[in-house]
Amino acid sequence: MKKIIISMLATTLFLLSSCQGDEEEVLDTEYPVIDTSFAGAFPVQCSTVKRGETFTFRVRLRDNLRLGSLSVDIHHNFDHHTHSTEVTECAMEPVKAPVKPFLLIKDFPIPEGQREYEGNYQIQIPADVDPGDYHFLIRLTDQEGWQTLKGLSIKVQ
Amino acid sequence: MKLTLFLLLFSFAMNALGQNVSLSGKITDERNNPLPGVTVRLSPSMLATQSDASGYFTFPHVPAGHYSLTFSYTGYRQQVVPVHLVGGGTEVNINLYPAPQELGEVVVAGDRTEFRKREESMNVEVVNEVYIRRNLGGSLMKSLERQPGIKTIGIGSGQSKPLIRGLGFNRVVVVENGVKHEGQQWGVDHGLEIDQFAASQVELIKGAASFVYGSDAIAGAIDIKPHPVPPKHTLGGAVDIIGKTNNNLYGTSLNLYGRKERWFFDSRVTRLDYADYRVPTSRVYVYDYAVDLKDNRLRNTAGHETNLHLSTGVVEEKYRSVFYLSNTYSKSGFFANAHGLEPRRVNTEEQDASHRDILMPYQKVNHFKLINRSSFSLPGHEVEAELGYQKNFRQEFSPYVNHGYMPPLYPTRMRTPQTLEREFEKQVYSLNIKDNMAWGRHTLAAGVNTEYQDNSIGGWSFLVPAFRQFSAGAFLYDKFTLNEHWLLHGALRYDYGKIKITKYTDWFNSDVQTQEGTVSQALVRADSLQRQFQSFIWSAGFNYNREKLQLKANLGKSFRMPIAKELAANGVNYHYFSYEKGDPGLSPEQSYQLDVSVTWTQPKWSVQLSSFYNYFPNYIYLNPTSRHDYYYGAGNQVFQYAQSSVMRYGAEFEAKYRFLKHWSTEFLAEYLYSEQLSGEKKGYTLPFSPPPTAIINISYEPQFSRGPKNTYFSLDYRLTGSQYRIVPPEKKTPASQVLNFSAGTTLRVSRQELSISVQAQNLLNTRYLNHTSFYRLIELPEAGRNIILSLKVPFTLLRHD
Repeated sequence: MKKIIISMLATTLFLLSSCQGDEEEVLDTEYPVIDTSFAGAFPVQCSTVKRGETFTFRVRLRDNLRLGSLSVDIHHNFDHHTHSTEVTECAMEPVKAPVKPFLLIKDFPIPEGQREYEGNYQIQIPADVDPGDYHFLIRLTDQEGWQTLKGLSIKVQ
Repeated sequence: MKLTLFLLLFSFAMNALGQNVSLSGKITDERNNPLPGVTVRLSPSMLATQSDASGYFTFPHVPAGHYSLTFSYTGYRQQVVPVHLVGGGTEVNINLYPAPQELGEVVVAGDRTEFRKREESMNVEVVNEVYIRRNLGGSLMKSLERQPGIKTIGIGSGQSKPLIRGLGFNRVVVVENGVKHEGQQWGVDHGLEIDQFAASQVELIKGAASFVYGSDAIAGAIDIKPHPVPPKHTLGGAVDIIGKTNNNLYGTSLNLYGRKERWFFDSRVTRLDYADYRVPTSRVYVYDYAVDLKDNRLRNTAGHETNLHLSTGVVEEKYRSVFYLSNTYSKSGFFANAHGLEPRRVNTEEQDASHRDILMPYQKVNHFKLINRSSFSLPGHEVEAELGYQKNFRQEFSPYVNHGYMPPLYPTRMRTPQTLEREFEKQVYSLNIKDNMAWGRHTLAAGVNTEYQDNSIGGWSFLVPAFRQFSAGAFLYDKFTLNEHWLLHGALRYDYGKIKITKYTDWFNSDVQTQEGTVSQALVRADSLQRQFQSFIWSAGFNYNREKLQLKANLGKSFRMPIAKELAANGVNYHYFSYEKGDPGLSPEQSYQLDVSVTWTQPKWSVQLSSFYNYFPNYIYLNPTSRHDYYYGAGNQVFQYAQSSVMRYGAEFEAKYRFLKHWSTEFLAEYLYSEQLSGEKKGYTLPFSPPPTAIINISYEPQFSRGPKNTYFSLDYRLTGSQYRIVPPEKKTPASQVLNFSAGTTLRVSRQELSISVQAQNLLNTRYLNHTSFYRLIELPEAGRNIILSLKVPFTLLRHD
């Protein structure tokens, strides 16, 4: 009987230890980085963009291995419903009802297999949209599916 | 092939007939009056009977061998008598003596636990209401979390769902009064609609339990047993009062029960009311957005809960039929500065006006349940049937926000209220029939489980479509008593399931890029879909019991039918910035698990090691991809349901040592490892993998010849390891150490008994993160110091001697 117990315990210990050794392959557990802190980055927190004009969205994207995809969502924040992800607060206009708010949901291509990429993308704002407080939400993934968000408060004038 | 297996099992059963003897006796009380209705259990074997009106009991055909007889009766001290059956008839006469506890305070779980553990090849732990009161947390699952291998996924202070060895959601079955509890198990922010004051005994089954509990019991089951039937000619009850300092909870639970000869009733009303809970920090960060907390309180995490229960029925010697009626209702707020992962701007003046009010976002959950449970005994058979109806109704309220392509202003034509973001209604009809048969040295159980679900949805956001679902399963289980030391187990089960998903179309138009350019159209989120599933599973195991040694092993296959969300999800969860995409082609998830458990018990110490190895060839996993979707996903990250093979193993260890008469120490530890062996996340773990934990306990239980009873002082030092093995979108969680203290006693004031228990959870007000908390992703720390005071006053209005 004792042999049975000992073998059981040994099996258990073996099971517990067996997969530990070869398990040290490095898995990516790092989120990609959206950098809007360099000189020339645009927009940044509290930036202003003008209706009827085109501005250049300049951002630096980094990942420890491979970048995935970049998505931008510009939506109104006239009701102050959401908050940016940033430290700084921006002066907000009074709450108002949207009439024809600007909405942009768009992907911005990143060349495949990059670790670092500086994006320069043209974004046009129609002349007839509501001015006011907007959110500029940047979503960046890497190949492994880690996603970083950056929600900036901007103004459309 | 399947038929052959069944036939084999049956013929095995038939062959074992023979060499049977009869065992009978008479049970009397301390004054030699016959005691009817005493439960007599013969072990090893699953045989049980009750003494008749004259106190007699009989087991007509028992194979010769060594056994022990257990006599239990409410209000009386339990007795265990060893018997050796050789030939002819054996008679055992016994006197039972009243238990020192008063009515309403009857606890026989200790011995039942022992019995269950010795006779069950799966890993099973039994906890009773005393344990729950000593470890009372914000919900039943939180109260059970001290058990190795049990964790919770929690949100706020009142909602949590079970994780057994790292698996949760639809991979754990919760059973209440014999019927599977069906809520919104799939959702992250849904709790479990169970009143912990109404739980008398909870069985925790860790392992491949599908053969008993059907689909979903892949990780195990939590089986909540009703309170025992009160003794004859009594009328009594208990008042529970509870208070907590952290979230200023106050609550009460009133119980009233009574029984004449055959009829009894047991009723309960529970009410809990709590404020926003406090964390050991005055500022939290949602991303880089600093949120200042007033008085360290997490804004809008207050809530309240009202639960009603009534059970009534007839109990006779060979027949019992009981109705269980219950309704649990709760309303609770979500942290206001973040909805899911989305930072929210709040009106702090309005939010901080009161820490007891519940503003948006909040949820309301109502769960109604009506169950009839009946059983009757025939010679050699014990037939049980459960018939149940449940209605789960959950609503989530949040101000309308036009995410994605939703119109900027909420249209006036909409019938859905502007604040109703989500609504789920589930109606469930269940029928279970089971026959326990004693057949020589075999104890056979055969049965069927059927369930029909009707699910509808509401609200202006979309996550899962409406669906209807039918499932039925038939099983055969055999426990064979080889001799006094060996028990063998074998089980087979066949299941059939059918799911019918209802088409859902958006109520608003989205901009869609087609070959003709950008088109504005209402998207079909879910197409109507019908799928059928079949599954054949098995389980085999043994128990080897010696006086000091218990050894058990079980190997089993379990399964789970894909749920509606996994098959047909096609919506954006804006609060998580995820577009979840189902796969209509998913196959039923299968799991193979080996469990081995060894226990060694000495008078002063005991150790137990339970280990398991688990393999899934096709685990259903929600995979966060690198893509964003612009058709259905409104620019959000695609989370795609996929199947991959998964390996998991782990162990729980428990050691107890009574080093002095009144002093004891305990060490509890658990370890878990999971790895995806294929698919896009090959090499990664599974989400919500609990880190290794250990609890070092020291307890002092003084005994006084007069005065207080059941006195205890207990200190838990909980060490939680770091969890660096993560998978998107998780975050690494550092290690933490927390101290919990508890103490309690039972006093007698004049003739009135009174139980008091005190707990200090997170005694040192340590700031730490819990890897399996829903709020982990936005870095919210766990609750700070919480002193819990609970009082129980049992009373007897009438007692017939």
